[in-house]
Amino acid sequence: MGNISDLEALLRPPAMEMPDYPPKAITLASGEVMVVRQVAREEVPTLLEAIYPLLLVERDFYDVVGARLFGELLAYKRFRVKDEYVLAGLIDGVLAGMVNGRLVNEKTGMSYHTLTIRRGLRVGSHLFAAKMEYHIEHCQQEEVLIVAESPIGFRRWMIEYPLEKRFEVQHELGGVPSWVLPKDTYYAAKPRLVSGRRPISEELMKSAQTILLPRQETVVRQVAGEKEG
Amino acid sequence: MSMKVTGMKCSSCGTVSYPTHAVCPSCRNETFETVVIEGEGKVLTYTDVYALAVEYETRYLRLAIVELDDGVRVTGHLLADKPKLGMRVKTTIGTVREMAEGAIQGLQFVAV
Amino acid sequence: MKSVYIAGAGMTRFGRSEWPLMQLASVASLAALKHANLGGVPVDGVVVANMGAARINRQTALGSALVDQLALYPAAAESVENGPASGASAVKVGFQAIASGMADVVLVTGVERMRVVNGMEGTDFVASLSHPIAEYIYGVTLPSLAGLFARLFMEKHGVERKHLAMVAIKNHANAAKNPYAHIQQTITMEGILTLPEAVVNNPPIAEPLHMFDCCPVSDGAASLVLVSQEVAAKLKGPKVRLAGMGQATDTHTVHERKDPTDLKSVRIAAEQAFRRAGLKPEDVDVAELHDAFTILEIAESEASGFFPRGEGHKALERGDTQLGGRLPINPSGGLKAKGHPVGATGVAQLVELTWQLRGECGERQVKDAKIAYACNFGGFGNNVVASVLQREA
Repeated sequence: MGNISDLEALLRPPAMEMPDYPPKAITLASGEVMVVRQVAREEVPTLLEAIYPLLLVERDFYDVVGARLFGELLAYKRFRVKDEYVLAGLIDGVLAGMVNGRLVNEKTGMSYHTLTIRRGLRVGSHLFAAKMEYHIEHCQQEEVLIVAESPIGFRRWMIEYPLEKRFEVQHELGGVPSWVLPKDTYYAAKPRLVSGRRPISEELMKSAQTILLPRQETVVRQVAGEKEG
Repeated sequence: MSMKVTGMKCSSCGTVSYPTHAVCPSCRNETFETVVIEGEGKVLTYTDVYALAVEYETRYLRLAIVELDDGVRVTGHLLADKPKLGMRVKTTIGTVREMAEGAIQGLQFVAV
Repeated sequence: MKSVYIAGAGMTRFGRSEWPLMQLASVASLAALKHANLGGVPVDGVVVANMGAARINRQTALGSALVDQLALYPAAAESVENGPASGASAVKVGFQAIASGMADVVLVTGVERMRVVNGMEGTDFVASLSHPIAEYIYGVTLPSLAGLFARLFMEKHGVERKHLAMVAIKNHANAAKNPYAHIQQTITMEGILTLPEAVVNNPPIAEPLHMFDCCPVSDGAASLVLVSQEVAAKLKGPKVRLAGMGQATDTHTVHERKDPTDLKSVRIAAEQAFRRAGLKPEDVDVAELHDAFTILEIAESEASGFFPRGEGHKALERGDTQLGGRLPINPSGGLKAKGHPVGATGVAQLVELTWQLRGECGERQVKDAKIAYACNFGGFGNNVVASVLQREA
């Protein structure tokens, strides 16, 4: 028993103190309210279920994003990533998208993935912004390292914020030369990219307590934006 | 800068056209002399456009239509921090697009 | 000139499609042919409208390709590329073939498959219709021309961003009632304009135009079966006559127009179409306008003759252009929300109007619609095709 614990303790990366992400509410273009909140380890299986149908969708690198995110979430659940966090966007409890990342050290954060399930309402932009907000404002970090598998997604962040090159650093997602969002750039971009209200009402928080999944067969279609004709 | 933006002046009715046409839009004459398009004028309208072709590595471009004092209108890049309808500007030449074949020079407008 | 009737109309759902170009075209065509129910009457001609296949899908001579798909040999076949007005231009080619007596049945299909390239490439491809020396090299894109136009138009006529938002909200709501529409999502004034979140929800695209002022990039196809009066007389089903078409051009660059806010080409094309139909704008019960950008719905509603200059936004405010209003505009959702597969758009507008005049539009049906109007706006207003349709008993 003690031996297993010791071994497990050895296998688990040492953890830093991480602040909670205070939940916020964002009213979307549709008038629907999206709650952005932290995802607990025990909720990971629900997210995995949402990602699973994407693992073989080649378009826009959903397979790579999906598979990596799947692995990152599993590793988060089972303590195999150092200082990872996961945020989800929920509309009436239904999963609209998710983002994750981790703290490299006290000063530097690393963004992992952004996956949007509900399309056409800037859910991805809101969630990516929430992730930057978490690193810079809540974890008080100086910078966030960022890359992306999909050229379009990446170009969007790069230009929208805009990001700076930090090519001497290999990002953990495939060793790709990294880009960085420094604190000052974040604060300059904040008025046009970061939104939401706090604190959120008890009622709203209750609606977001359990993560619900959209209908499974519609996930691929929604995420990849495909229609049959 | 040696590059100039040019239009045409109709050798019959004197109308200046920019861009050029094979036939004068005013009198249908077919002979012209080349004229340089430059000078001062006012901003007729402008926009900050974010929907850009892939080669622009900038968040947005500020485009304007300017009416030069001789009445000729031109489209180009507005290099002004606080654009306003009707503001006075003058033309200059600068890089307006980086394409596979190299940097393209064109009209830019600066406040006077 | 002989009379021309629309015997059938069909389309694919607009959106992002996995189907190859010719499958999109075939599915829409077969739907229109089935709708027309021609019996044994042969198709004499096929006209395909498309803007980008040569560049984006590496396919040309689409008319011949569609004849082959549908095994309609030896029907005559043409392809029409006329920028964003390709669709209605192709309809005009079919119209002329029947009006002249050269054909009795012409299938007109518009198709575009542009989601295979990324948004920036798509934007750049459509921008290639701008003037190569005086516009394109400056990074001019269609949204930027719309932004330049909108700033001037809004300043001149007191149009505000809330008016543009009203167009978007209306057209999204209409599209939610249209199973063929690309966007099935209603939006709110709070979400896109008045709440602090709207800054993120609705980012600028070409100021003063924002994301929800612009149409999406779509794949899709739409198809019409045009027939002569002799053939129409033999068919069952309601008779919809293509009563009049008009077309006008304007300067290639936007800056060369004396008053860039005056959509002269729309005005002239509409006047021609109404004159040829023997009808007036006041007679129209339902219209489909080319709202690639919200500002264009307002501007075209004036230039087409429905409202006095500078008063389109007031009509919008009054609710005149909503479903149930005096003149519903874009019951299909318009380009704004139904989607804009460029070459298909002009045909799709007439598909919607044909269905409207036949009373087949379900939840978005304009009650007792007898006369309909469409404006297919090419270039940025340098080539416009207008059409008037009339339901006969």
